[in-house]
Amino acid sequence: MTFEASVRTEHGGTAPKTADRTFWGRLANWAPYRVLAGLATASPRRQFVILAALPLVWVLTQHLGPMLQMLRVSLTDAYPVAPNVQQSFTFEHYMKFFQDSLFWMPFFRTLTFAGVFTFCTLILTYPVAYFLARHVSQKNRMLMLLMLLIPFWVGEIVRTYAIMILLGNTGAVNLLLKWLGFIDRPIPFMYTSFSMGVGIVYLTALYMMLPLYSALEKLPKSFNEAAADLGAGAWTRFRRVTLPLTIEGIASGCTLVFLISTGFYATPVLLGGPSTTVFAETIAGFFHVAGDQWPTGAAFATIMFLGALLITVTFQKIMNSLRKGDVR
Amino acid sequence: MTRGNRILLSCIYWAFVLYVFVPLILMVTMGFKDSKFIGFPIKSWTLDWYSGVFANAEVLSAFTYSLVIAVLSTLISVIVGTWIAVLLEGRKFWGRALIFGITVLPALVPGIISAIAFRIYARYLGIEPGMGAIIWSHAVHNVPFVVLVLMARLSTLPKSQTEAARDLGADPIIAFLRITLPYLAPAIMGASIFCLLLSFDDFVRSFFLGGYEPTLPVLIFAKLKSGMSPEINAIATVALVITAVLGIWAERFTRRLNKENG
Repeated sequence: MTFEASVRTEHGGTAPKTADRTFWGRLANWAPYRVLAGLATASPRRQFVILAALPLVWVLTQHLGPMLQMLRVSLTDAYPVAPNVQQSFTFEHYMKFFQDSLFWMPFFRTLTFAGVFTFCTLILTYPVAYFLARHVSQKNRMLMLLMLLIPFWVGEIVRTYAIMILLGNTGAVNLLLKWLGFIDRPIPFMYTSFSMGVGIVYLTALYMMLPLYSALEKLPKSFNEAAADLGAGAWTRFRRVTLPLTIEGIASGCTLVFLISTGFYATPVLLGGPSTTVFAETIAGFFHVAGDQWPTGAAFATIMFLGALLITVTFQKIMNSLRKGDVR
Repeated sequence: MTRGNRILLSCIYWAFVLYVFVPLILMVTMGFKDSKFIGFPIKSWTLDWYSGVFANAEVLSAFTYSLVIAVLSTLISVIVGTWIAVLLEGRKFWGRALIFGITVLPALVPGIISAIAFRIYARYLGIEPGMGAIIWSHAVHNVPFVVLVLMARLSTLPKSQTEAARDLGADPIIAFLRITLPYLAPAIMGASIFCLLLSFDDFVRSFFLGGYEPTLPVLIFAKLKSGMSPEINAIATVALVITAVLGIWAERFTRRLNKENG
């Protein structure tokens, strides 16, 4: 668009323009530029090296570096290293994890919660995505989808606070239930795994809905019609046509939501209680104090990353084998 | 049967709309309550909390701080992200898949782990907790999103255009500046707004890499830990309005791109 516009202005001008008169022509003939460009583009190989140098250095030092440094710190006996002290390699911080239920309980709780919340998000958003992709006209579809996106631009903290107001003892839900006459005394929703679940599902729903929506939208309607012609009922059509063909969307949505759910820190702190401590809080505890507990924290973060990775990779494998036609 | 289904599904859709909008609407409304205590019903109303926000030095400085961090980190993310996207899209070389994997890694690492890893690495690099550290962590975290958006856009650029420029005598640098970059411009703009948003909303990295000065989400979190009050509602509403406006703006950009791409 911009390119065409610039071409037009160049050739539409009244004055005859030679290469020297335009900015680009002058740049191309400017001696320092010519020397530099000549050096940089002398051979395809050199061009590639110059193009690839910065990205390679950046991703290796900035994307991979933090993870590797975390791994390294988790394997040292003390960090930061005191002067004149020999740093040594150790597994003790990893052993600590298994020795105290205070440590491994939150870990398994986090993974269980993340799994349950992911499933809830799937159940909640699948019909919504299905409705948008199947029952809404092309014209309204985009608008109805974009409307749902607006709340999801709002940050984690603000939306968590909104849930606190919704579920508090004097919150909207309790007020409504009281007004309808279902309860006399407010139900203590807050600081339980329920409030945490409502909050986390609220924060992650979009990441599930978008992959589901795009999978459902790609699925031709004729597949369902063919199944109906062959005598399949609504449930059979869903189970044997729609569900297997959207399994890719389900897999990527679940993976994304699971990874995000395990990483929440502020939401469990604000919405959860003492009995719902998640592993993120355990890890963060090691970093509130200066320095000396860092290797343990790093080891725990590594354990959590590997745990979450293991689960998502296994899950993807299962979904892949399902997709390859094991559905009955 | 189909009609019943349709009605049921549309009920679920509207229930979901309520679920995503009502908490935010309640939060905005609560900021008008003329009382120190959060909770329904609201018996008397006031504008004091909202007008107080704009006179609150603490909030204004947190807001400016967040904004400066968002703008600077976005600049870095966009430059690096564009560079990586140009390298990766449409080029075959040894290790490309691996480089792509490492590129998207920061977007897949769960929040708390990413924050901890950045915290440790900042110390290793000798960056003190504070503005520089936050900008750096946001920049690295947002690069994958820029790369993904720009690679999608680049894949729709016909090769013939850059080839034509080369045939007409442009060297690769000028061909990039005059053909590729203008073609990418709307996508770069969309990705920038998205990065601004991610940075402005971010809590966990700002919290673990921050010094004494809080960003806006960190300030709201700190206030929440010491108790709820309509004042926080007013502050949160300001953050909400800014992010929602940025979000709608970003959506308009991506929608225009989708139309162009067909």
